[in-house]
Amino acid sequence: MDFDLPDEHRMIRETVRDFCAEEIEPIAQDIEDEHRFPAEVFDELADLDVMGVPVAEEYGGLGGDYLMYALVAEELGRVSGSIGLSFVAHTSLGAKPIEAFGSEEQKERWLRPLAEGDGLGAWALTEPGSGSDASNMQTTAQREGDGYVLDGTKQFITNASVAESILVKAVTDPEAGYDGISTFVVDPAADDGFSVSTVWDKMGLNASPTCEIQFEDCWVPEERLLGGEGEGWTQTMKTLDGGRISIAALSVGLAQGAFDAAREYAREREQFGHAISKFDAIRDKLVSMDRKIERARLLTQKAATTYDAGGDATRLSSLAKLDASEISREVAEDAVQVLGGYGYTEDFSPQRFYRDAKLMEIGEGTSEIQHAILGDELGL
Amino acid sequence: MKILVTVKEVAEVEDEFEISGDDIAEQYLEYDLNEWDDYAVEEAVQISEEAEDVEVVTATIGPERAEETIRMALAKGADRAVRVWDDDIESASYLDVEAKAELLAAVVEEEDPDLVLTGVQAGDESNGATGVTLAEKIGFEWAAVVNQLDLDIEGGVANVHRELEGGVEELTEVESPAVLTIQSGINEPRYASLRGIRQAQSKPLDVQTLDDIGLDADVLESPLAQTDLYEPESEGDATVWNGDAEETAGQLAEFLRDKGVVEG
Repeated sequence: MDFDLPDEHRMIRETVRDFCAEEIEPIAQDIEDEHRFPAEVFDELADLDVMGVPVAEEYGGLGGDYLMYALVAEELGRVSGSIGLSFVAHTSLGAKPIEAFGSEEQKERWLRPLAEGDGLGAWALTEPGSGSDASNMQTTAQREGDGYVLDGTKQFITNASVAESILVKAVTDPEAGYDGISTFVVDPAADDGFSVSTVWDKMGLNASPTCEIQFEDCWVPEERLLGGEGEGWTQTMKTLDGGRISIAALSVGLAQGAFDAAREYAREREQFGHAISKFDAIRDKLVSMDRKIERARLLTQKAATTYDAGGDATRLSSLAKLDASEISREVAEDAVQVLGGYGYTEDFSPQRFYRDAKLMEIGEGTSEIQHAILGDELGL
Repeated sequence: MKILVTVKEVAEVEDEFEISGDDIAEQYLEYDLNEWDDYAVEEAVQISEEAEDVEVVTATIGPERAEETIRMALAKGADRAVRVWDDDIESASYLDVEAKAELLAAVVEEEDPDLVLTGVQAGDESNGATGVTLAEKIGFEWAAVVNQLDLDIEGGVANVHRELEGGVEELTEVESPAVLTIQSGINEPRYASLRGIRQAQSKPLDVQTLDDIGLDADVLESPLAQTDLYEPESEGDATVWNGDAEETAGQLAEFLRDKGVVEG
């Protein structure tokens, strides 16, 4: 067992950490207040080769592994949940499925711009009436000429309003259940019949757009079908293993950011003649926060390492996502408590981490669904 | 054309620290590329991007630990690196400016660069002398505290702005081969790109011993020895007056009279 990161990974973490501290942290609260997607930050991240970390070099990516990807996601989460979320949705859900299931032509046309950071990726699975249970999917894709016509509504789609491409799940064969779902690449700028109907105001993560999108007689040519007809659900299952690792890493980052703020405050804030970190009540809280973070990080990195080695990572990635998202919310809540009244104000970061962390227990499979997956994995 | 950039890994100290023996206890130290050297590397890399056939080589005196810092310079665009170290250097009691310049001079002799860029100073010891001492030893022209550089490669002339005391700027021509000590602010050092970091892992980083560069341990002998390390007593004292100007101006005047700053 070697728990040391390779030099390359450590250097990449250092560089991303420096960038985040200098360029993102100072605006992290402002972009939330303004509900503004910071396109300029993503341009800079593209210049640093961040936007294609786990995508093969031949398609414009960095060619890194999931361990490297997890480190980058953690560093972004440590300063801004919004930027971290848009980054992992772009990478795990928008770009990686094209690499895994697309044809050579599709990879050149749709993956390359995402990997090189010329545009942001997105994917659309959830619907107003279909969340954890995708068997009730209402969005349809019907054959017409040499293409398909998409109709339906997708809900809570990260990046949809700023995306270069969106991978949309739609039913091509209503009789076939899960085997009747297919994936289509939609071009929001060019495809008639696509529209963004809502950009949600949320409890947190307001610099990362979450959208409701509509398809009305939206025709796409047949070369937009990703993989074969009816393969959409199998693709989804494979995509989510990797996606959970990145949400776990992002959650660890949120927790670390909240912990750092709490530790710094506790060492400086004096009450009753001592720094509050010297009192058991606060010290024990901080120790317990650190313990949870280290545990979740180990689990996340183990899941990433297993995924990179080509092993079955379903159980580990689900465990990591479940644990990291829950401790992230707990640690952020404790950080608010350590800062007391200041922790409840928007002048300090713990409230932001607390708001952002809550989503991690909901997105890409709720905690309840993770329990269901883990039960299956244990043969229960 | 070849540019040699001397780079140093420096220890940075946390706000709170303890002294153990003659040094700051290891757990309070973090190591990073010397700030001024970062600007020197950036300047060299920019020249190599603007002109054809420019090789950028970094030279470091430092232990194995420094390799990550050196690789960061390679990630930002330097082509290869030389690191000088061996057991004799490791056990030297104090590596003074003279010794460092002697070691770097031996590297210069081997590499034969057209231009040597160094940082003005290092953030840890702040002697601010290694670059110029090196120039003297190798007989190169030199200019210190350079905050703007315009290089005429064909003519072998560097037009430099030097920052002098009291905000005075000097414009000088320096003929190559030359040593320029680079001031912070001359450019905006880039972040290493992640691709650069990956590529840096396979760029050449040669480790050379004293023997390899044709020197022996005598060069390390120094008339200087560090005798102590301590935190000076802080003697700062501030008085703050609150209130409107009319009221506080009188109090300030009284205070200045008391202290003998003004008479009357």
